[in-house]
Amino acid sequence: MSENFENELRRALRPVDAPEGFTERVMRALPAQRDPVLPPVVNQQPAYRLVKRFGIPMAFAAALVLSVLLGMHVARVQDQRMAEEREAAGLAASRELMQALHVTSQKLDLAYQAVKTPPSPAGDEENRT
Amino acid sequence: MKILIALTLATLAATAPAAEPVALKGQLRIPEFAALANKASESVNVTLDPQLLGMACRFLNADDPEQADVKKLCTSLSGIYVRSYTFDKDFAYPQADVDGVRRQLSGPGWSRIVGARSNKENTNVDVFVLLDNGKARGLGIIASEPREFTIVNIVGNIDLEELHSLEGKFSIPNLGIETAKKPEPPKPEPPKKK
Repeated sequence: MSENFENELRRALRPVDAPEGFTERVMRALPAQRDPVLPPVVNQQPAYRLVKRFGIPMAFAAALVLSVLLGMHVARVQDQRMAEEREAAGLAASRELMQALHVTSQKLDLAYQAVKTPPSPAGDEENRT
Repeated sequence: MKILIALTLATLAATAPAAEPVALKGQLRIPEFAALANKASESVNVTLDPQLLGMACRFLNADDPEQADVKKLCTSLSGIYVRSYTFDKDFAYPQADVDGVRRQLSGPGWSRIVGARSNKENTNVDVFVLLDNGKARGLGIIASEPREFTIVNIVGNIDLEELHSLEGKFSIPNLGIETAKKPEPPKPEPPKKK
């Protein structure tokens, strides 16, 4: 019984050649192979060359222009501040001048009053010239 | 050796104290009275050297008649110095300092044009002018009262005619400053009758 079963199993599992045209049929049944999707190839070489050639000088030029503009701005602000300071100092000085002349006039007035006032009989005016 | 000497001289020159500003003719050595400013109830301290005075003149308003006259006057001046202090107590200021300034005004060239002493009010006012070749080069005013003292020094070519023009302004009194009149040309003599 078991010998019979083994023989049947061996016969069923024996290697069998593929029928003719099997490979072609299988290959036809497979979906067509797609080409691998590659990222678009960009030609970077000219830009890279430009950066490599002019990058540093351009950076220097930009820095120079920026420095000049910044310097001009700082100079203008400084000039404006100095002009304001000069004006404030000038106005303060002119106020001082007017104040000085007021004090001078007060004291001249005092001298004038002292000279013009007739001397009292008690003789409290000691000396008037 | 020469290099050493040169270096030593350069170091000495660099460390030498800066020369004191040369006082102008007519300029008094007025003490700063810095300590008095704290004691005084009111104080006026004006120091206008030639540079500041020039700046002050430029900033005067020519449209204001009072300032316009001052502008004309101050172009010939080279300095204005005022120290004025008012105190709450009598004689709180050092009389010696005031006398020190007064002594400078007794020097050559200075003439006292007004001097007033009041024993009753204990007030002294002196007005001095520094004359140089008949022209006023400096003006000094010292006014001392029990609670106030003032020193004014105006330096420069003081045109008495212009000062005269300020009379009435700033309450400057008419001091009777007479300006020199130009001599009139001699009248032609009438032809003698023969």
